[in-house]
Amino acid sequence: MSVFYKEENNVGTITFDQPDSKVNVLNSATLLTLDKMLDGLKAKNLKALVIQSAKKDIFIAGADIKEIENIVELQDGKSKAQAGQRVMDKIEDLPFPTVAVIDGVALGGGCELALACRYRVMTFNTKIRIGLPEVNLGFVPGFGGTYRLPRLLGLQQGLKMIVSASPINSSAAFKCGLADRLYPSVGLPDRVKEFIEEIAAEPNKRIFKPYTPKGVQAFLEKNPLGQGVVYKETIKSIQKATKGFYPSPLKAVEVIRKTLYLPREHALDIESSAFAELAITPISKNLVKVFYMSEKYKKLTVPGAENIKPMPITKGAVIGAGIMGGGIAQLFSDRGVWARLKDINQDAIAKGLKAAYDVYAQAMKRKKARPYEVAAKMAMISGTVDYSGFADADIAIEAVVENMDVKKKVFAEVSQALSSKAILASNTSSLSVTEMARASKDPSRVIGFHFFNPVHRMPLIEIITTEFTSQQTLVTTLEFAKKLGKTPVIVKDAPGFLVNRILLGYINEAGRLLGEGGSITAIDRFATNFGMPMGPFTLSDEVGLDVGVKVLHILEAGLGPRFKPSKIFDDVLPLKLLGKKSGKGFYIHGKERVVNPQVQALVQSGGSIKEEEAVQRMMYIMINEAAMILQEKVVDGADAVDIGMIFGTGFPPFRGGLLRYADSLGIDKLVDGMEKLEARFKDGRFKPCTYILDLKSNGKKFFI
Amino acid sequence: MERIAIVDGIRTPFSKMGANFNYLSAQELGRIAARELIERMSLDVKLIDEVIFGCVGQPADAANIARVIALLAGVPKTTPAFTVHRNCASGIEAVAQAAIKIRAGEGVCYLTGGTESMSNIPFFLSKEYQEILTEISRAKTLPAKLQGFAKIRPHHFLMPKIGLQLGLTDPVCGLNMGQTAEVLVKEFGITRREQDEFSLASHQKAIAARAILREEIVPVIPGPKYKEAVLDDNGPREGQTIEALAKLKPFFEKGTGTVTAGNSSQITDGACAILVMGESRAKELGLKPLGYLRSFAFVGVEPNRMGIGPAHAIPLALKKAGMKFSDMQAFEINEAFAAQALACVRALASDKFTKDFGYEGYTGAIDPAKLNVHGGAIALGHPVGVTGARIILTMLKHLNRANLNVGIVSLCIGGGQGAAVVLER
Repeated sequence: MSVFYKEENNVGTITFDQPDSKVNVLNSATLLTLDKMLDGLKAKNLKALVIQSAKKDIFIAGADIKEIENIVELQDGKSKAQAGQRVMDKIEDLPFPTVAVIDGVALGGGCELALACRYRVMTFNTKIRIGLPEVNLGFVPGFGGTYRLPRLLGLQQGLKMIVSASPINSSAAFKCGLADRLYPSVGLPDRVKEFIEEIAAEPNKRIFKPYTPKGVQAFLEKNPLGQGVVYKETIKSIQKATKGFYPSPLKAVEVIRKTLYLPREHALDIESSAFAELAITPISKNLVKVFYMSEKYKKLTVPGAENIKPMPITKGAVIGAGIMGGGIAQLFSDRGVWARLKDINQDAIAKGLKAAYDVYAQAMKRKKARPYEVAAKMAMISGTVDYSGFADADIAIEAVVENMDVKKKVFAEVSQALSSKAILASNTSSLSVTEMARASKDPSRVIGFHFFNPVHRMPLIEIITTEFTSQQTLVTTLEFAKKLGKTPVIVKDAPGFLVNRILLGYINEAGRLLGEGGSITAIDRFATNFGMPMGPFTLSDEVGLDVGVKVLHILEAGLGPRFKPSKIFDDVLPLKLLGKKSGKGFYIHGKERVVNPQVQALVQSGGSIKEEEAVQRMMYIMINEAAMILQEKVVDGADAVDIGMIFGTGFPPFRGGLLRYADSLGIDKLVDGMEKLEARFKDGRFKPCTYILDLKSNGKKFFI
Repeated sequence: MERIAIVDGIRTPFSKMGANFNYLSAQELGRIAARELIERMSLDVKLIDEVIFGCVGQPADAANIARVIALLAGVPKTTPAFTVHRNCASGIEAVAQAAIKIRAGEGVCYLTGGTESMSNIPFFLSKEYQEILTEISRAKTLPAKLQGFAKIRPHHFLMPKIGLQLGLTDPVCGLNMGQTAEVLVKEFGITRREQDEFSLASHQKAIAARAILREEIVPVIPGPKYKEAVLDDNGPREGQTIEALAKLKPFFEKGTGTVTAGNSSQITDGACAILVMGESRAKELGLKPLGYLRSFAFVGVEPNRMGIGPAHAIPLALKKAGMKFSDMQAFEINEAFAAQALACVRALASDKFTKDFGYEGYTGAIDPAKLNVHGGAIALGHPVGVTGARIILTMLKHLNRANLNVGIVSLCIGGGQGAAVVLER
């Protein structure tokens, strides 16, 4: 049993308390119990009905995603939604006041249940998040959320909450009218009693006035012309954000547009159909899988090290105040970790501080941070040109130039300056952490901690272990990555680690495609059409061609000739067309970005590459590399590859990840395609690796 | 009795008003110095019993600025903090308070110092204008509000009271600080030439001591532009000449005066942090203190002769230290004005002065080579709440560098006081 009913002084209380769980979810069984419970209540003449949760910081976390994931039939989806809708209707139709008492997370179905109540009382608990995040999982709210939310909050706010999928806190909920009252968590039961006395004066209707827009807002909300503008703008911003790859937010707009003036029964029918239609799509299934994966990696622990306590990290030293170093210092300070930023001179430190401040300045511009907060956070970063302040640092992260000799020197010096407990990490993107460990005083405390650029925005951290890395070092570093709000993957020390090794293969293949007579814009467009956040040449211009080629050489030395930089890169590099930082690369970066004709002219003209072939080659080469990574046990599973590619490169989540995409192609077809390419190029780069051939012969896939 | 250890200290560069630190608040300057001291010592902040900072122009947006500095510098929230104001000796007062508390057994470790942003001392509205604005803000109807606005005249906002000017004027005797220096000029018969030469020497010593002073300075990279680091004090003028100083017009007394902008201290921004501990605790922690505070003294003098304060504070501090004037191996008399510093030197060297006040043994002639060896406030600048802490730090660094044992630092204090501290290694 997960739902309990109690009655006292003519006030009924429904309490959600799922056994053996920290959270409550609305699964079919719970809904059924609730349904019957409500049937028993409707004949009563209660003063009020309170709906609450017994869990700390949780009201109801949402519907059961597992159940939604298992929906494959349209009709099954519709009836699952209808089962929920029916319960919500029954709550709404009770002949006495109903109050949802929310002292924690109320998402999806949990929010919809609260919406069905006549009143919502919340607390000042900062853990409260209420909203409808369904579109993030590729479907729309299915328990009446699209029907009730716009009616309660007005079209604009309701639409915004559903389309953005961003839950809000309790003070925002109070401001927009989603919460009728905010109380302290302490003494809440007594406050609820007082609230019931207050509303009992009017047993048949809501005593608070509904939301009434004024002025321009009233125009936008209340008349068809204004509403048209709202819908149009919303669709436009969805198109911009999703590039049309994600149908669910658009569907949500469509449902609301259709149902805003329809009676309940009719509106809910449209909602449940839309829900079912989307829930069975592969896109939704992929997004659900990605959600599970990201939840898993956000809470990643080291297997077999459950008894090792992570050391607390309150201060970190950062060596190298470049873009990365400044970004890391900014992230530290934002997360309450003191940062000691070292470089060889004050000018370099100034640049690092500026890089950190620019991130905060942007946040202030978007009203995400207040000046006083930024002052306090920037105060957590101090610069130094010597190793003063290192003795009490808990971790030091090296982010100096990617040159092994320099790194070794830094490691030798820094390991002397640190305490005997501190961790020494490298932010290298491709150099051997093992070699750096050997140069340090205590290799067991050395680890790779690879951030992606820009640090504050990219969610991935590759944690690179060497044969020397101690479990204590790994556990502490992993916990620290989570403290920084990042998603960690644990990777063994191997050339290019996980993400760059796969990504560089892709960029290199794009270079070959270009060399064969492709066009820069076309190849970039093929990639973005596939769903990549930017094309390979745009990416190269962002990173700098010199950086890319340098890493390619490292990969070539470590992994073989398949990473030999494509000829076009070798031709462009000496021309110093490095990308954004030199103003010109594959594109000319002026006020408007245009293709650099100087580069395009290097390509044999007349060639043309078909989109299908280009995408195939760019993807196959990545899939093959990823399979080799699995074969070499650089990471522990296919989901590590997918989470790395999604969070480190923006590989499209709607495709589920690189290897889930490979699975969707079918291994047989994949092998076939790769062998055809191998027959054509005969250089081994498309030759399916053993791991893939084994999958094929065993009839398996990357994911079970 | 427990000796008071001055464990270590650091300061920001001093920057002339409206220059490099124009956009840094006093709390920001203070926290930079405080944090850097914590960082350089890798100090366990939990050891700090209290934070005490001096500040004269205490900013309206940082009430109890010591507390603000403490929190921004990473001192635990549970550690208390308070701000002291003894005008130009606020920095000394902070250290003295720590000493008093350690001796009283209240605590053993104090983060002290001073901070000042003279660039950010506000302008004030007249009372009349304040009343109009209050009326407008209280008015309930639009016509009533408009009526209020109609009362505003240009002079209300075009002629605000300048906070800095108010602060530098004695409210009891009515004289500006520079005018009090002119009082001493007349009393001691100090010439313009003497003042200018004293000032020139200050610049020359400060310029020569660039590298030495860097030992007590943390470079500051002022935000929000973070363009470049300020490494040095910007007050000392290379190539300063006596001729250039002689050309300046008297600033405080037109026509008959001798005190100019060139022979007065500069109006400056900066901060200094000093860690004060009971000697036994410092030893326990294995620290090597810069030196020790042997005694301190504060005295009162006539407000219109405030610059003579050090001449009285020095004998008293020596008496409290159980030491003689002749024991002192280095002197620091803060250069609020060349005239005032020269007046103190002259008084201390005078038998009559000694006899009149019963200072026998505690006065004498100061060898110019031992006075303000790295220049003073005329060249370096005088961020009023900071200077007291700065001269303690400078003196102790000097004693260590020159391998000397004892020195005395002193300041005159607006309002008519003097302060002196005897420091030893």
